[in-house]
Amino acid sequence: MDSIEIEFLAEKAPVTIVPNFTHDKLYLISGDVGPFTAGLPVDIPLWLGINLRQRGKCRLVAPEWMDVEKLTEIKEEEKQSKVFTQMPCEHYLIVTQLLLSSAPEDIPNAQQIKTLVKDIWDLRISKLRSSVAEFIESEGTHATLDRLTLLEINSVRPFLPHAFDQLHRISKSAHGSNLSQTTQDIQY
Amino acid sequence: MLVSDLRKEFYDVIKGKRILVLVHSDIDGICASKILQSLFRADHILYTVVPVKTRSDLVSAFEQHREQARYFLLLNCGGCLDLVDVLSPPEDVKIFVADNHRPLDVCNIYNGDQVRILSQLGEDEEVPAFEDVFREEESEDEDEDSDEEDGKRRRFDEETLERRRARRQWHQQRHKIIFDYTQFSYYGSSTAMLMFDLAWKLSKDNNELLWWAIVGVTEGQVFERTEQDRCVLATGTLQGHVSRLNHQTQDSQPLDCLRITFEKELKLALYRHWSLVESMRHSLYASTTLKLWTLRGEKRLQELLAEMGLPLVQCRQLYSGMDVNLRQDLRSLLEEKSEKYGLPDLLFPSFSASRGFRIKVGSADYVYSAAALLEPPQKDITPTAAALDVADCLAVGREEVLERGIEGSKQQLSAIYRQVQTFLDMNQVISAGPFLYATVIQGTPDAWFFSAPHCLTLLARFTLRAHVSVSRGRKSGALPLVLTSPDVRAAQPDTCLVCGIPPTSEDSRRNFFGKAFEQAAEKTASRAELEFFDTNIIRLSVDDRSKFFDALISLLS
Repeated sequence: MDSIEIEFLAEKAPVTIVPNFTHDKLYLISGDVGPFTAGLPVDIPLWLGINLRQRGKCRLVAPEWMDVEKLTEIKEEEKQSKVFTQMPCEHYLIVTQLLLSSAPEDIPNAQQIKTLVKDIWDLRISKLRSSVAEFIESEGTHATLDRLTLLEINSVRPFLPHAFDQLHRISKSAHGSNLSQTTQDIQY
Repeated sequence: MLVSDLRKEFYDVIKGKRILVLVHSDIDGICASKILQSLFRADHILYTVVPVKTRSDLVSAFEQHREQARYFLLLNCGGCLDLVDVLSPPEDVKIFVADNHRPLDVCNIYNGDQVRILSQLGEDEEVPAFEDVFREEESEDEDEDSDEEDGKRRRFDEETLERRRARRQWHQQRHKIIFDYTQFSYYGSSTAMLMFDLAWKLSKDNNELLWWAIVGVTEGQVFERTEQDRCVLATGTLQGHVSRLNHQTQDSQPLDCLRITFEKELKLALYRHWSLVESMRHSLYASTTLKLWTLRGEKRLQELLAEMGLPLVQCRQLYSGMDVNLRQDLRSLLEEKSEKYGLPDLLFPSFSASRGFRIKVGSADYVYSAAALLEPPQKDITPTAAALDVADCLAVGREEVLERGIEGSKQQLSAIYRQVQTFLDMNQVISAGPFLYATVIQGTPDAWFFSAPHCLTLLARFTLRAHVSVSRGRKSGALPLVLTSPDVRAAQPDTCLVCGIPPTSEDSRRNFFGKAFEQAAEKTASRAELEFFDTNIIRLSVDDRSKFFDALISLLS
């Protein structure tokens, strides 16, 4: 899976906007988007929200988890715990990036939020990498990781199965050469 | 026809249609076109933008594109021409005009259908009444018919004579009214400001558009096109918008957003990008008041810097290399000393923009940079490319274009300064009776810079102020200046550009040279091209120069 595809999936996440126009319900293929009334907040998919914002037709409202205190708490929790903690939103990084690039003025404390989300991402990825390294070294056969998000899984996906394949091949050939050595011993 | 509600009668009309925008190559026009472009993009309106420089450009661009669109928008060009006459548009074409040149042609104002004027006329701009200027011509035919009737000829004769006399009188009156109306040419309010108002009414305004409107308005201030009280009004309105859009503190905004601040700015050209001494030398106001081209002037400058406590070495370095404390105190220090050195207007209210960690850039800096980009020192850049460069320098993320413009502007200002020094040292500013007269000699290496309208106007203003400050008599303050320079950029050889500016003692910026040049050219049948939309500049063939000036002298005395 490409990160582009994951971004496409993430754009379905709902976001609240405050439109400055009035319009009836829109009947789209992926679902109905509610009637728009100027000044009243309404929930719509992220892709539509970004498009309307770029055309100057609405103002974006930050999701409730995109708040400096909440994110600081989440970051502390992530630092303390050895396993992964539950993220407030499945696609937290993508949503943050899209919202902050198209409407930085609408989100309060955008600079700090950007830094916090990046810190959380770095913490989780480093935990993931160290656990992968441990797993390879311990030569275990299976592992369970809870509460990982799709984008993080995708960051190791190209590497991990391929690496294990190679290891398997090497260990098979090493085992095979062991067998051939013992048969040679028997012959002598 | 004058349009009162821009939104209903202009924007709603062109929604969903294709529009062609013809924009004059001046900074206000390009800013207005950028604001409009962002509005068009948001509403998915198809548009084409064509920069034009002269009247013939306008006509040829119109011819080229006449099939493509039914709606045309002219920005800062064509308001003073009779458009229906000049362009001969087909019946269903509508032309919108937003022009800050005044006086607007009466045919455009009173045209019922095809020409719609978007610019707002100020209270002090009087347009002649319809009855005074237009009259139904059918009465003439009636008279002729009644002449042919036989019978009581004598009575008819009296009546016809009466009517003919009245008609003649009306024509004379009309001629006088039109002459008074078009005698002085001046500038109205900025078109970029008008477009920003439209964006505001559509609630699509943001800081970017506001900054472009500010640069458009500042052009009027820097080139001294708008009168002082109109400037103050415009600055007040803009300040309202700035505080509305920029009221959040620095911390809550991301750092790479544009932030506009309103503060008192020094009237020194490009001082943030140059050294302090250089910028003082090349700014119109400071240089002409302190007379910096003379030895005494230099000494006074050094005295001023010493009194303010600024070390000379640092003043000669780049501004960004100066000590931070000195830079912060500079404005207050200069303000204190300004009275003593005769520089009372050194500070003026202005806007500056900062983005991220870059240095603040003032709106006047943008204007100088854009003026230099419009008239580049390189010979291979076409006028269209130059206009697009200006549009680029205003865009986000193209700071290198702005830097290039600032370097070009430094070269322009240095060339102007050298030329002014030559003029004054060799006493080449001659009084020709009703006006002062100066010529840039053929073959000057800097003539390349002066063969362009903006630079030529700057040179003229600098020369006039400098001359007034050194001349002994009181009279020179009341005389206008006519400046000619060989046009090395023109296609034909042996042409020169002539520029006329009003005297310094007058506050009003009304310029009568447009009409004067036209009449002098007619009288002497000189090969003059009244091509530019700024009517105080014309292109003249060098051979006709002397008789043209004789005619001008006799006209104005």
